[in-house]
Amino acid sequence: MPKVKNWQIGREMEYPYEGQRPKRQWAIVFDLNKCIACQTCTLACKTTWTSGQGQEYMFWNNVETKPYGGYPLGWDVRILEKLGRQDWEKNAPLEGKTVFEAAAPTERALHFFPKDEDWMYPNNGEDDCAGRVEGGCHIKDLPHDRWFFYLPRTCAHCTYPACLAACPRKAIYKRAEDGIVLIDQSRCKGYGECVRACPYKKSMYNPATRVSEKCVGCYPAVEQGLQPMCVQNCIGKIRIMGFISPPWTARADNPVDYLVHKKGIALPYYPQLGLEPNIYYIPPVHAPREYLAQMFGPQADDAVKRYLELRQDPIAQGLLVLMGSTDCILHSFKVADGLASGYDEKGGEIVQVPVVEPLHARAAYDEKLATVRTNTP
Amino acid sequence: MRTAFWMAAILSNLGAHLGADIMAGKVALDLSVQPLKEDVFKEAKEEVVTLMAQPMVAPRPATTLTPEIRVRAVHDGHWIAFLLTWADTERSEAGRLGEFSDAVALEFPVKEEPLPPIFMGTKDMPVHLLHWRAQYQRDREKGPPEMKDLYPNMNPDMYPMDFKDQGKLQGISEEMREVYSHGKAAGNPQSYRKESAVDEIFAEGFGSSSIIHNPQSHGEGRWSDGRWAVVLARPLALVNGSVLVPGQPGHIGLAVWQGGQDEVGARKCVTMSWITLLMAGE
Repeated sequence: MPKVKNWQIGREMEYPYEGQRPKRQWAIVFDLNKCIACQTCTLACKTTWTSGQGQEYMFWNNVETKPYGGYPLGWDVRILEKLGRQDWEKNAPLEGKTVFEAAAPTERALHFFPKDEDWMYPNNGEDDCAGRVEGGCHIKDLPHDRWFFYLPRTCAHCTYPACLAACPRKAIYKRAEDGIVLIDQSRCKGYGECVRACPYKKSMYNPATRVSEKCVGCYPAVEQGLQPMCVQNCIGKIRIMGFISPPWTARADNPVDYLVHKKGIALPYYPQLGLEPNIYYIPPVHAPREYLAQMFGPQADDAVKRYLELRQDPIAQGLLVLMGSTDCILHSFKVADGLASGYDEKGGEIVQVPVVEPLHARAAYDEKLATVRTNTP
Repeated sequence: MRTAFWMAAILSNLGAHLGADIMAGKVALDLSVQPLKEDVFKEAKEEVVTLMAQPMVAPRPATTLTPEIRVRAVHDGHWIAFLLTWADTERSEAGRLGEFSDAVALEFPVKEEPLPPIFMGTKDMPVHLLHWRAQYQRDREKGPPEMKDLYPNMNPDMYPMDFKDQGKLQGISEEMREVYSHGKAAGNPQSYRKESAVDEIFAEGFGSSSIIHNPQSHGEGRWSDGRWAVVLARPLALVNGSVLVPGQPGHIGLAVWQGGQDEVGARKCVTMSWITLLMAGE
């Protein structure tokens, strides 16, 4: 089997096809400290792409509650359970096996096959409060602290997609121009191999058209220099879509490169699976570090520490303010004199925002309008 | 992969020695008639053909679910028909998520000399396949299942451009609705109602198969007492495809899928070498 270079696990790994990186790679960074699971992203995607017959259950973008939520049910724990213990020391290559390396000779990737009922719980009651306050905690004797965080997920348009590797019809392809992974809707025969093989479970079978579908990265928008609908509509401004470089060609003025490579505060999720996924997360600072290490790899602890130190970094602050400030894709950014600016591919300015919004303090009682005002801190 | 190749090569040679020829006697019947009754095969000699789990490309089955298939064949000078029977404890027509269809395929070399590799042919050495699926037969008999058939308890609010009261939307065409049905919008035959239970397919290697429009072949399956009996019939000369000539030997390959056991695509049981088809002369 060919060997490909996977920078996220720090080593070469086995993959069914030769490695060939796209000219540029679609990527989204999510700040999990800000996500409130309002599901606006989910609905933006749903109304754009999956309102037809057979797509009722589909959420190409979903938001689930960790540690217990999952769509489909238990997708993460089930693939981790299959993979078993795999060791990875900090600042060292992954010692363990990826899903490609751990696969039986009869398979392209280690996998599990979600059934009908596994798709029935897209964040339904995952974070409901457990009982009334005066009644005390409804769930007793939990084996861990009471915490949760929200995890928004799209297809990761992986550098080494398991869906593409597993498709026996070669109906899945990765676009050279932006790295977006697509299922050819005219060629797919609905074998469901991509549904089985994608460990993130972002390929979904359409029982009405009898072919499989997945997140298309909003490629028609991306082709026009616009960010995907889930990013454009994020009211929490927790996301930014751009193009990520591999670390050896990373640019400090590229927003995604800056967050992932330069600052090291955004990490891929479940990098140990070996797909080099291209959605990156700023880990939630309040979650147990052991859990974050399992989800984001051995650099999770450092990423949290660096994030907590951002108050001393006006450039990173400026970039976080640029998130959600424009529908356009930012190819570069600059922070100077308290202003953060974002630029298009040709260097034209798209947006400029103050790093800190000016503070206006007003009198509690407006004598001119004879009205009481409330200042919001 | 190399091990699998050599294993397959060895088994292929073994199969060539062990496999019995299929005899297709001539009958004074019109085999182009649909549906063909199974009693047209009453005089035909039954051969038991050994199958094994497809060994060449992953993903592939770990075990052989269908170790044998029974084959009878007859021809009428213009058409040839096959009766294929095998054991399958459950009838599977696919439909809901993660459900797959029972199926059988007959493979023919497009050119007899030299014979293409039996595993789906190779570039410039195509094979011609007749692929019967229980799912397609259901399509033809009852139409493809609607979502409410598959999921009776589901309550979707509405679908785009599809309202009980069309009101001012009278001008909405089926083509406009199909924009919201990605497989149909892309023209994928898989997404439309199958008018025939049999797809005709050309292939030049694994993963290369493509459907032929306006297939001439037909087929009919019947499941009872834990066995499938499928009749497949084709003209001796398929347009731009394989040509069988009475009195001259031809070749066939076979594949079976047990959909209820998650067999689909490359997860199938297959013949490991070409089987000689002997057709009685005029």
